[in-house]
Amino acid sequence: MSDLEIWIVIVALAVSTAITRSGFWLVGHRVTIPRRVNEMLRYAPSCALAAIIGPDLLLAPESLQFTLLNGKLLAGIASVGWYLWRRNMLETIVFGMLFFTALRLLHLF
Amino acid sequence: MNEASDVVTPDPAAWRDGVRTGTPTLFGIGAWGLVVGVAMIKSGLTLPQALGMTLLVFAGSAQLASLPLIAAGAPIWVIFTTGLVVNLRFVIFSALLAPHFRMLPWYQRLHLGFVSGDISVALFLQRYPDPAPAQGKLSYLKGLLYPNWASWQIGSIAGIFLGNVVPAEWGLGFAGTLAIICVLVPMVASRPALCGVLVAGGVSVLAAGLPYKLGLLAAVLVGMVTAMIVEEVGDKFAAKGRP
Repeated sequence: MSDLEIWIVIVALAVSTAITRSGFWLVGHRVTIPRRVNEMLRYAPSCALAAIIGPDLLLAPESLQFTLLNGKLLAGIASVGWYLWRRNMLETIVFGMLFFTALRLLHLF
Repeated sequence: MNEASDVVTPDPAAWRDGVRTGTPTLFGIGAWGLVVGVAMIKSGLTLPQALGMTLLVFAGSAQLASLPLIAAGAPIWVIFTTGLVVNLRFVIFSALLAPHFRMLPWYQRLHLGFVSGDISVALFLQRYPDPAPAQGKLSYLKGLLYPNWASWQIGSIAGIFLGNVVPAEWGLGFAGTLAIICVLVPMVASRPALCGVLVAGGVSVLAAGLPYKLGLLAAVLVGMVTAMIVEEVGDKFAAKGRP
């Protein structure tokens, strides 16, 4: 992408922040969301986050081959366990990075 | 004094209360900003582009989601739509928060909505679940929002400058995935949400070969529908179980 295109993307993303975060602040009193849509929307954020990290955890970076035995997936699973135990985001990130780095330095994968 | 002025009159005690309530979360917010800052530089954005993105977009997960799309040269409308989808939770937050501050002028509502992040909204709604006017509401909200914004930007800008000196093979970008895991885990507390997330993750991997990263949008749609179906089936079983 050219520099100009990236700046257009940045402005477009700023607009997407404004629409989603400020939309109801501006026009909320004039809109009622259908109940069904409302129910569906509840699941959109978690599904979107899962779809963002899925390929990073399950596909090899260069070849895009499916792989269960890779450092990121193992470190990811260990981090879920750590987060469930400690409920602390920063600790979990540090733990997961150390775990991932240890696997990388030991050349296990 | 009428009701509207109760809500918007500056109230230093409520402001301090908001700051105090939000303080424990600020370090985590800063770390998350740091990760996004590093990821922006590592993905190939220039220094001004990365600074512009953090200051203008102010939405970590949408920024992270956009980086591989920018690197892959996806069309702008796909990146914009992805940003909207990733930010959809804010629509719900905004629907919950906006009724509290209906009386404010539009530019203030635009501004407050724009800077309201996940954790601040959750903390505010814990304190004021009811949209009825109450004294000091606006000061309390600002006490949550502004330190949150500042710690995000400080972390993010630190990450942008740090990212340039960190070797790529350290895989620091993986910290972004780890941060998303931390946000995601509490969201899958119910069976429908868990099923939706697993299906969305699976579809995103299967559809990773689709052009323009459209696999992401497909994964979100299939995941949402799955969650709804699981919820409805669960409701039916629950209804049958009742005498």
